[in-house]
Amino acid sequence: MTTRTWALAATVAIAALATGTTGAQAQDCTIPLGAVFPLTGSNGPIGEPIAETGRWAVEQMNEAGGVQGCEVEYLLRDTQGQSAVGVDAARNLVDVQGVPALLGAISSGVSLPILTSVTAPSEVVQVSCCSSSPSFTELAESGESGGFFFRTLPTSRAQGVVLGNIASQNYDEVSVIYINTDYGVNLAQEFQEAYEAWGGTILESVAYNQEQASYRPEVNSALAAEPDALVLIAFPVDGSTILREWISFGGPQEFVLSNALRSDDVLEAVGAQFLDGALGVDNAQVSGPSVEAFNADYQAAFDADPNRPGIHINYDAAAVTLLAMAAAPEATGPAIRDHIRVVTNPEGEEVYPGVDGFSRALELIEAGEPIRYVGASGPISFDENGDVAGPVLIWTVTNGALAEDRVITVDEVNALFDELAQ
Amino acid sequence: MGQLIADGILTGAVLSLGAIGVTLTLGILRFANFSHSELVTWGGYFALTFIAFAGTSAETFGPLSFGWSFVGAIIIAGIATAGLALLVDALVFSRLRKRRAAEMTLVFASFGVALLLRHIIVLIFGPHAVYYTGTLQFAVEVLPGVRVMPDQILVLVLTLLFVLGLHLTLKFSRLGIAMRASAESPDLARVHGVDVRVVIRWTWAIGGGLAAAAGVFYGLTVQLRPEIGFALLLPLFTAALLGGSGSVYGAVIGGLIIGLSESLSVLIIPTGYKQAVPFLILLLILYLRPRGLFGDVAK
Repeated sequence: MTTRTWALAATVAIAALATGTTGAQAQDCTIPLGAVFPLTGSNGPIGEPIAETGRWAVEQMNEAGGVQGCEVEYLLRDTQGQSAVGVDAARNLVDVQGVPALLGAISSGVSLPILTSVTAPSEVVQVSCCSSSPSFTELAESGESGGFFFRTLPTSRAQGVVLGNIASQNYDEVSVIYINTDYGVNLAQEFQEAYEAWGGTILESVAYNQEQASYRPEVNSALAAEPDALVLIAFPVDGSTILREWISFGGPQEFVLSNALRSDDVLEAVGAQFLDGALGVDNAQVSGPSVEAFNADYQAAFDADPNRPGIHINYDAAAVTLLAMAAAPEATGPAIRDHIRVVTNPEGEEVYPGVDGFSRALELIEAGEPIRYVGASGPISFDENGDVAGPVLIWTVTNGALAEDRVITVDEVNALFDELAQ
Repeated sequence: MGQLIADGILTGAVLSLGAIGVTLTLGILRFANFSHSELVTWGGYFALTFIAFAGTSAETFGPLSFGWSFVGAIIIAGIATAGLALLVDALVFSRLRKRRAAEMTLVFASFGVALLLRHIIVLIFGPHAVYYTGTLQFAVEVLPGVRVMPDQILVLVLTLLFVLGLHLTLKFSRLGIAMRASAESPDLARVHGVDVRVVIRWTWAIGGGLAAAAGVFYGLTVQLRPEIGFALLLPLFTAALLGGSGSVYGAVIGGLIIGLSESLSVLIIPTGYKQAVPFLILLLILYLRPRGLFGDVAK
């Protein structure tokens, strides 16, 4: 309650300030940037540092010179992790405060109703760090989000495509067993599109539900078609059972495995000797100078470890939005939307997080040069649905242990996407 | 097709063993014991504990994946689980019965017992999946196109023996007759000199012992994890209700129907929906025959 009262008081003060200084010299003007995050409730402990990271990015941008000569005002509201509260907060920010762009929220269950009932209809850009639901991609594909939604959390598509790529290089015909959840269904679908595009044939695609007495019917359906290999999208416990049954029933000991199966538990439960040569994918740890510089800056500013959920990706969400606001001719939703991809242009000069990075970016924007923001989570490039790809690790089982094979960088992942699109 | 039938029968056999205990408590103690499936989990873990202390025998029986220590494990697990069932009854259910608690009170108490039993397992053994042996067994082709693991055949044979043994006990022994009489009418049985307390004790012991066998067989052919009882809860009750509450043969047939219908359903519907099939069959049977396949008209 106190946070809310405080926020209200602050907003009133800011509003008074804004109206009071209209028409004064450019440095005194303000442009609002909205943010909705859970500050209280069960997600509060992770939401608060994420929200403060956004505020920090705004402060750095103001120090670097602000957006179009104006200060950016960070208007943060609490969603309490509830969709109704989040929608109210977003509606207030958009209708009353007139924000052209909004950061947040964290859970898809809050971000989604904000997108469909507030930001998309009002033509306000929404950039979420942390909402992972595939529904956002579907809304973008159907045109319902109007292209106003972006997220900096890598989607599973990169993994599905790389999975399809490595499977097609090694096996002509496979069967797929996948877990019957959002995660499994999406990854299986993404795998299928990629694998078939690269010339592979899926003989049998079998969904399974967790926690069953036995997976023999699933395993036998997948095995009956006599594939070269099994592609398994599963979690360790069920995955181990399925692998054991597959091997017991004489299936070929050739496997392509999803990220969750990269676990010593699986090796131990199944027997590493049976999994030798198995290939798999996982998210790769992002590294590079921009990431290390961010980590050091964050440590200095907050005296806390940046390796917590959502910190890097929300900083990037804020940075990309701020840079797009700076590059756009006017602070309106559609203009910002159209400039998000301009400031992440792969052809542009690389700019990094921090005050120096933002200053350089503003100079380049002023000079009309293209820029590419390489952020706290590495290079960012939004696809047509506002999703980003992350780097993908290819792992294998060699000599009875998990081993890292190689990393497919974001640029290589995007090259694979382009290859698929053709 | 043949393979699917074999898979269905093997899964059904394990379900049948668990469902017998459910149906006995429904028939004789007259309440739905939701903690019964946790006894399945405990049976599996009792055997695991025994093997951990006794060590796995170096010599295995022919093509099977285990040796003498496993036989000991089954027996110990059966006895220990029967003991656990009696302990739970002494601490919880018998006290409620003495106070003439309503049936729903017993049902909710069993929910609490189930949670407690499950979490004690997590506390002691941890949440990870474990196996009796690290070695993997290969399936052999018993009929053209039908592969089964040798362990599974043994599980099937032992299940048949247990069911046959229970059948003979219920049919011919004094205890069996007393149990059937108590199921029919507890008051009438008491008037005729049946000690209902003894009957109740044996009901728990038999139910617990068979649950332990189900748990051990599940652990042997699939894996052990703290949630197996919870995952089996619905299938076990479905099997017991399908067969008709109180009917041992009904529970066995019910278990087999569930195993077979899940397994064969993949021929016509996507595998993701196969868990719904037993419930459709249950709805259909309860609609046509509300007392279940083998249930008595009186109840």
